[in-house]
Amino acid sequence: MTTAPALELDHIRRTYGLVTAVDDVSLTVAKGEFLTLLGPSGSGKTSTLRLIGGFERPDSGEIRINGRRVDHLPPYARDTATIFQTGALFPHKTVAENVVYGLKMHKIDKAESEKRVKDALAMVRLTGFEQRYPAQLSGGQKQRVALARSMALRPAILLFDEPLSALDLSLRLQLRAEIKRLHDELGFSAIYVTHDQSEAMAMSSRVAVMNKGHIVQIDKPDIIFHEPKSEFVFTFIGESCCLPVTIRNGEVRDKSGEPVDLKLARPPAAGEWRLYVRPSRVVMGEAAAAAENRIAANVAFAEFLGDVYRYHFKSGALELFCDYGGPERFQPGDRCVVGWDSAHMSVFQ
Amino acid sequence: MPELAVERSGSRGGGFQPAFLKAVSIAFTIFVVGYILIPIVVTLIMSFNDANMIRFPINTWSLKWYRDFLGSAQFTGALLNSLIVAIGTTIIATTSGVLAAWAFERYPIPFKNGLYLIIMLPLFMPGVVLGLGVAIAFGGINIFGFQLYGSRLLLMIAHSLWAMPLVFMLMEATFRTIDHRIVEASYDLGGKPLQTFFEIVVPSVSTGIISSALFAFVISLNEFVMALFLTDRDTQTLPVLMWLSLRSAGTPRLAVSAVILACAVFACLTVIMVWYIRQLRKTAR
Amino acid sequence: MTAVTETHAPVLTTEARRARRVERLLPWALMSPALVISIIFFGIPMLLMLRMSFNEHAPQRLYVPGFTARHYVQLLTEERFVNAVWTTMKLSLVASLATLIIGYAFAMLVWLKPARWRLAFIGLALCPLLISEISIIFGWWMFFPKNGLLSYALTSAGILSDKISLMYTEFAAFVGLVYVTLPFCFFILLSILDGIDKRLIEASGDLGAKPLTTFREVLLPLTWTGILVAFAQSFIWAMGTYATPSALGPDTLWTMGYLIQEQMLGKSNWPLASAFSMILVVAVAVVMMFTRSLNARRTSFHA
Repeated sequence: MTTAPALELDHIRRTYGLVTAVDDVSLTVAKGEFLTLLGPSGSGKTSTLRLIGGFERPDSGEIRINGRRVDHLPPYARDTATIFQTGALFPHKTVAENVVYGLKMHKIDKAESEKRVKDALAMVRLTGFEQRYPAQLSGGQKQRVALARSMALRPAILLFDEPLSALDLSLRLQLRAEIKRLHDELGFSAIYVTHDQSEAMAMSSRVAVMNKGHIVQIDKPDIIFHEPKSEFVFTFIGESCCLPVTIRNGEVRDKSGEPVDLKLARPPAAGEWRLYVRPSRVVMGEAAAAAENRIAANVAFAEFLGDVYRYHFKSGALELFCDYGGPERFQPGDRCVVGWDSAHMSVFQ
Repeated sequence: MPELAVERSGSRGGGFQPAFLKAVSIAFTIFVVGYILIPIVVTLIMSFNDANMIRFPINTWSLKWYRDFLGSAQFTGALLNSLIVAIGTTIIATTSGVLAAWAFERYPIPFKNGLYLIIMLPLFMPGVVLGLGVAIAFGGINIFGFQLYGSRLLLMIAHSLWAMPLVFMLMEATFRTIDHRIVEASYDLGGKPLQTFFEIVVPSVSTGIISSALFAFVISLNEFVMALFLTDRDTQTLPVLMWLSLRSAGTPRLAVSAVILACAVFACLTVIMVWYIRQLRKTAR
Repeated sequence: MTAVTETHAPVLTTEARRARRVERLLPWALMSPALVISIIFFGIPMLLMLRMSFNEHAPQRLYVPGFTARHYVQLLTEERFVNAVWTTMKLSLVASLATLIIGYAFAMLVWLKPARWRLAFIGLALCPLLISEISIIFGWWMFFPKNGLLSYALTSAGILSDKISLMYTEFAAFVGLVYVTLPFCFFILLSILDGIDKRLIEASGDLGAKPLTTFREVLLPLTWTGILVAFAQSFIWAMGTYATPSALGPDTLWTMGYLIQEQMLGKSNWPLASAFSMILVVAVAVVMMFTRSLNARRTSFHA
């Protein structure tokens, strides 16, 4: 066992014509770490994964797996295994043949590979499905076979390419928990690409948020959520209310020029600013009385979300919303006070 | 019902009456079916004739000419030549066509359009031109005492000039239907390009390969213009022998030959169908 | 930024270098058998044939090396050769037009008929494609003559009192030619028609168009590409063939294919046969390029 990290990306860049898909990306995945690349579509996360898997070559930069440089090697010479979005099972091979394929290619002896196939299928709870063809499996089962097929190889790093995005919600949650369990049990190193932030938060050791080919922030999920470094990260992770304001002479006014009573921890310089607050931190009704910042607002409309009602407010030119699970009911047009603490407010220019 | 649509538009437009359109459509159907079936039916009937002459009506029926065909060393020899050449053509054309189509589908190739034209062009050339060209180029060539001209090998390659582009064209279309992710998945799991090709690509296009191989077989089996130019008495194929016999004197034996050739072709079709159904059962449940 | 964009000097391992080389050479290796066939057995013979067409011909010998354009002059001036070119063009044109009309009607019939008829019709259309040309010739050869099925059927039905023979007429040659080219035309047109939404016809009918108007205004423009390809295919095929016209047509029906064969096998005049072949090749190329250019204009209009 070397002491090198499972994966290192060193200033990777990849352009397609005039478009820079991956722009100067560097990151390190420690052994046993589960790192998620999170970003909107077109942010370069899948391109990054394909560069690691060897399906594309970087224009510049280095990729090292277990300390060994691999960026010039084709996929079959790299110690990686990808779980594709659609599973990409071989349709003419049975489940067992699919799983054993990689082992056969790596010339692993028969007894060992039989054992590994059995273990891998047991891990994904598909024992007894060995002789089925992919066409006879459900979407979730296919994805589990894909997982077993990759894990049986015991690669230096597993690459997940949005493996759950083609499944429906309940299956997605179930498989998400299963992948997490497998990671906890086996301690494999993995890179997981997704645009679903709850997936990223739930599974990862660390999350790298990507935008326009760059990694904009890379940290533990809770830090990403609570201490977003940029407006992009704040708005992309979790829900947010945006309050555009103008600050002049220490006075905060909304777009229509009405003064707003906000207590900013560090009053920023004069200019146009956008204040953000998470709706989960916004309180209303009785609780709002104790909040550091309060504004009076009219209920614009309400949505019933099951456990709670989501109320959308309008106050002058400002719009915000929050969820309320209390006993009171409000109607559109009702006037009430909403508030939040300054610590929960972020300011971006 | 689209037919109804046509009829309705007819009545509304005040042009043709629906009954008239219907009659035209029925008459045309009879015409086309008759046209296509006539030579086939005539041949089939004549092959069971007992007389020595080709003339209608047929008075006595028998299998005499089938026995005659099987007893004729010349005709059975020609049939054997035809089968050998067709099998050889199938192997040459399928191997080269499939590999080239895969290269075209999978890899960036410089001068792709030019190469495509070079591969496809022979398919559009008349048989006489190809036969003459190959005869001129290889007429006097003798490799280690092996006379290329007149050999079955040269005829196989000449037939491949038609069969290979056809296989190439069919396989290019078939390869495009492959999910490229299963190819990537194979690379990813450690399959080298050739292993991937034989383990993953070939099995998932097996129906396409079988079909194009059998088309190559049928083309070679039926072709006789190039064969006429490129064979001698010992290597002549059944269609060539039929052509030469037709020029001298036609007997019901030719009808038997035609039926036997057609049977070989339809046997191929059956193989394609059976294979197709088998694959369908496996992957589309 | 410069520090970042600087390309790291690639330290290629031997393994990586080999993988790269394999990747570059692999497509060529894969294409090589096909290229050997097309270049050595098609390209080179074509060049040799071009050269051969300028050689001298001497009695008792296939050819004498030399350089003369005499054969081309001969082909363009000698009456029986010029006639052969015209006969070939005329026959091919008429046969391809007939093929196109029958093929179009047949394809439309199959397209409009309910699906349960479809497979039977397609099987039927496959027959001429799968049966050897020689067998087809022989079939018609037994149908047209005095003692053939046609004559027998007509006389025994009482339509005719005397036996008739249509054998060795231009009509018989024409029937045989159309038969062989029909399936190509049919399948090309059917595949184009299958891409058209049948409701278009309904819509046109609803708007009050007569069937002929619908055909002219809706179907014809949509199938134009297919028509051109099908026509070119039939025309090229008809030009190059020689067996069908020479076996079914009259002795005077000399097509280019027939003359090539005659000069090659009968008269052993290779230079003249080559010159004739070159003219045929050029004609095929011209037809192909013509349809391609029409095709390109058409598709660019659609795009």
